[in-house]
Amino acid sequence: MALALIKLTYKHVIDALAQADFERNIFHASYQEFKMKSQAYNLNGEMHTFTEMKAKDGRANSMHYKISFSALHFLIPLNKKIPALTDTLGKQLEYDSAVFELIESDTTQIKAHRVGIKFITGTYVLHQIIGNNLVLSAEDVLNEGGVFTETFTLTMQPNMAVTSYREISKQVAPNVLNNSFNNN
Amino acid sequence: MVLEACSKSSDATPTTTSDATTTGTTTTTGSCVVTPTEVEGPYPYPGGESTNPLFRSDVTGGQTGVPLTLSFIVVNTNSNCNVVTSARVDIWHCNKDGYYSGYGSQTGGTSGLATSYIGETWLRGYQTTDSAGIAKFITIFPGWYQGRATHIHMEVFVGGVLKKTAQVAFDKATADTVHTSSLYKAHGINTTLNASDGIFGNSATDLANETLVLTGNITDGYVGTYTIGIAL
Repeated sequence: MALALIKLTYKHVIDALAQADFERNIFHASYQEFKMKSQAYNLNGEMHTFTEMKAKDGRANSMHYKISFSALHFLIPLNKKIPALTDTLGKQLEYDSAVFELIESDTTQIKAHRVGIKFITGTYVLHQIIGNNLVLSAEDVLNEGGVFTETFTLTMQPNMAVTSYREISKQVAPNVLNNSFNNN
Repeated sequence: MVLEACSKSSDATPTTTSDATTTGTTTTTGSCVVTPTEVEGPYPYPGGESTNPLFRSDVTGGQTGVPLTLSFIVVNTNSNCNVVTSARVDIWHCNKDGYYSGYGSQTGGTSGLATSYIGETWLRGYQTTDSAGIAKFITIFPGWYQGRATHIHMEVFVGGVLKKTAQVAFDKATADTVHTSSLYKAHGINTTLNASDGIFGNSATDLANETLVLTGNITDGYVGTYTIGIAL
């Protein structure tokens, strides 16, 4: 019996060691944009890091949004498949949306620049949890009764979280079925 | 990081280097030098030619409103007001109802309720000035939100350095005409006058320099040119 409808978020971190083309494009473009857009929160140039700027003025958090435009279009070649996240049989999961996060940066050294892309899936049915593994299916194959549902299995792993959850109401057997039927 | 000079001799000495410098050693039987290590340059890697979607002249993003076409001329006040080419000009402003794209929980707009446009990008964009020093934008006349006079935000970058953060204002007659027209009238006339505005109101001289001069009408839209003077 299905437990719940869920969505997953997988956070893909990109830093100076990233190798893939889309990662390097995102890394470099977002760093250049950070160097430009951070100046509004660092007018006398005293600060260097994003952490310092946020501590001084919480409005510096607008940079997650402002810098995202320089990065997210580089995800288009992924064709909506989450890189580096596969089910237990090696198949990639698809994502519905991607949210950009500036994790840290430093105007004086690109090596400190670190961003995250949070890939958010569509809705899955969570059927079972077996140890560290989720047994899931796409929402539109939810069905009751004795029919086999096509599922896949995903191991809980670092940087991945269940971020949306709706319990599916359990069917309760009517009480009359618990009493023996007396046929007089 | 330890790097070894390439060498055919068995007694070549390993050398130690830091990330950004190079050393080389040579031997008698063959010599080569370790290539200098330099920081990786910027993109593009394959796919890198894809551009920032905010790099656009038409920033309307499907928002309805009275058309507004603005040409910003960037000039250098330290050099005879010569035009500045290849300057990046970013603008952003609220829609006809007083809401910004990208932010949640906005109060002060037409609905009077906390309204969210997280994930949207309309009425934001940037251009680089051409050989005439002009960055042109196609947008709509802004609405307004509680507590602020009608305005458009801008930032100007030259060579990646922020040279100007500014806002431009609108003359009351034009703004009132737009804000009482069909698309805007639900919110009506802005309750904050330019002279009363916390940002525009502190200097009448500055306000005069910040006010757009527009020609046009509701049907055809408005057009104007604004000179941004920066001291380079």
